[in-house]
Amino acid sequence: MLATVAQAVVNGLLIGGIYALVSIGVTLIFGVVKVVNFAQGEFVMIGMYISYFLATRFGIDPLASLVVTMPTLFVVGVLLQQFLIRRVLALGDMPQIFLTFALSLLLLNVMLLLFTADYRTVQTPYTETAIHLGAVYVPVAKLIAFVVAMLLSLALWLFLRGTDLGKAMRAAAQNRDVAMLMGINPDRVFCVAVGVALALAGAAGSLLMPFYPAYPMVGQVFVLMAFVAVVLGTLGNVTGALIASLMMGVAESLGIQFVGADSGLIVVFLMLLLTLAFRPSGLFGGWTR
Amino acid sequence: METSGNQAFARWHGRRDFLTRAAGAVLAAGALAAPRKSGAAELVNIGALYPVTGSFAQIGQGCVNAARLAVQMVNDAGGIKALGGAKLNLIISDVQSDTTVTRTETDRLISGYKLSAIHGCFASALTLIASEVAERAKVPLLTGSSTDQLNKDRHYTFTPFARASQFAQAQLRMARLVSDNPKVAVVFENTAFGTATSKGLREQAPGEGVEIVLFEPYSAGLTDASPLINKVKASGANMLFPVSYLNDLILIIRAIKQADLQVAINGGSGGFVIPDFYKNVGNLADGLLGVAHWNHDIDANAQKVNAVYKQQYGQFLFEYAGGLVAQTFMIADALEQAASTDPQKVRDAIASLDVSEGYAAMCPGGRVKFGPDGKNIYAHPVGVQWQHGDLATVFPKEDARAALMKA
Repeated sequence: MLATVAQAVVNGLLIGGIYALVSIGVTLIFGVVKVVNFAQGEFVMIGMYISYFLATRFGIDPLASLVVTMPTLFVVGVLLQQFLIRRVLALGDMPQIFLTFALSLLLLNVMLLLFTADYRTVQTPYTETAIHLGAVYVPVAKLIAFVVAMLLSLALWLFLRGTDLGKAMRAAAQNRDVAMLMGINPDRVFCVAVGVALALAGAAGSLLMPFYPAYPMVGQVFVLMAFVAVVLGTLGNVTGALIASLMMGVAESLGIQFVGADSGLIVVFLMLLLTLAFRPSGLFGGWTR
Repeated sequence: METSGNQAFARWHGRRDFLTRAAGAVLAAGALAAPRKSGAAELVNIGALYPVTGSFAQIGQGCVNAARLAVQMVNDAGGIKALGGAKLNLIISDVQSDTTVTRTETDRLISGYKLSAIHGCFASALTLIASEVAERAKVPLLTGSSTDQLNKDRHYTFTPFARASQFAQAQLRMARLVSDNPKVAVVFENTAFGTATSKGLREQAPGEGVEIVLFEPYSAGLTDASPLINKVKASGANMLFPVSYLNDLILIIRAIKQADLQVAINGGSGGFVIPDFYKNVGNLADGLLGVAHWNHDIDANAQKVNAVYKQQYGQFLFEYAGGLVAQTFMIADALEQAASTDPQKVRDAIASLDVSEGYAAMCPGGRVKFGPDGKNIYAHPVGVQWQHGDLATVFPKEDARAALMKA
């Protein structure tokens, strides 16, 4: 029994790390640019396809392809902000929602057209290996993904805390007008924020590839959990999204174990509803200061 | 002005219909062109209804390829001797994975060509519609579709292969290959497909002496299969029946390997036993068990056809495609007996068929004789196993062509 619970918690934490990478990206864009990026999952999908093709065409390990997917998607993010999101920033919520939602549909369908709905998997030496600690096992591919996800989150946290650009980003998030008066160039800050968010999505793609099949709809699977984590962890709060993602992973896993395999999400959404009822601003109200 | 207005109107209302007809006509014309040139002898029109566009397209295309190959085999061997060497003429129609199109296309084919017989449509949902139309028009239809509904109140519909109800039984019996005391975990996605299939397994399990130790629905579209596999592990099962589509199945298989869980997997029929499955899953598939109504290693004739098909299309002759090659030969045998192209006489000849040799008999059971419900009384499913990218028949004992591979 104890082993079963321990195993469920381990499984939950590991998948929570992936939810975290996606949700941190969403919350970062929302926090800084004040736009909800519905296409975040599709950028995870693109990261997966890049990793897949690097692995199958050139024999590059999906984890090594992080050095390709992250910069590539960073550039995509900068271009996205510069040429699309920037144009609708002054127009209010609806055009922004339509923009990112349309982008999501467009990317999904273009990929369907190009690569069909086939599932594509990459087999690595560590895909099926696991470390056995007594009765509990830790799958190696997921452990690596979790550790890298945590390191990237830490790096982002240090960047937001310790660098001028990071501080400028937080300032722009708190009050765009005042930040501008202080000499911060919001265009530049926004570009970096969207770039970093998409780089994280790309990282999630590379980290998923060793153990999850790539297909055009794959982003949708993860983005739902990411949005719940973003709300649960307080909109715009990076640390909150991280902690909420891990909590949700564990809640889902325990739900599957002890309620029913089709009820994992019930536990997660119950958690969301209770949080919204008692702490409407999320578990971690306010930007981390 | 008026003309262009009319055209726009026609385009608006009839575009889908027009495309359907055009595509069908082009396909039919292509099929007609070659034999007509050669000329003198009478042609026997055989309708082939398969989805070559839409969601079933990939499998449907394989079916059309096999249908062409089968007709070519009959014609190369001298055609229908009782009709002076008449050649079979395949009229192919794309039913587009759509029930409405299936209805109109079946109608169009029957009224447009003097069909002696029809075979199709792969997907049970489509076959049920085509069968209704064929019954009304009194044209015999042969099909490999497995739904038991095709054997209810029908007189022109013939099913040479195992029925859906027999599949669950075979899958349960196969559990004994793995253990004398089979403890089965059934995990199924909570969709119509998953619920119906798993229900059949649960109902028949006690009669087959199989204990179901876990019966667990899950939400299709898993992010992580580990929690589910954790449940399977806790249940103490030695056999797992996943009723899942491909992406969930890949995650389930990987999670089992990671957990180092000693459990045999039987994925049942359908998408589990087609070449695409291996293409998508890779060597993870090796050792997995499934159930099929036909397999390419069941006898020498099947192996021969498989070799030709493999050479032409680069993959083995899958369940449904192989079955319809046999069906084409059943139609040819019936034509020989009837010595007529009249669909009613062909229907009567099929109904009284009793073949146990040749390509028509390359079925599990090795013999074709239809009962009053149109069911081949000798049909049974076979248990198959993925072995190095190929499907080998491993069950029942009299049909087994390879030893069980330990996963």
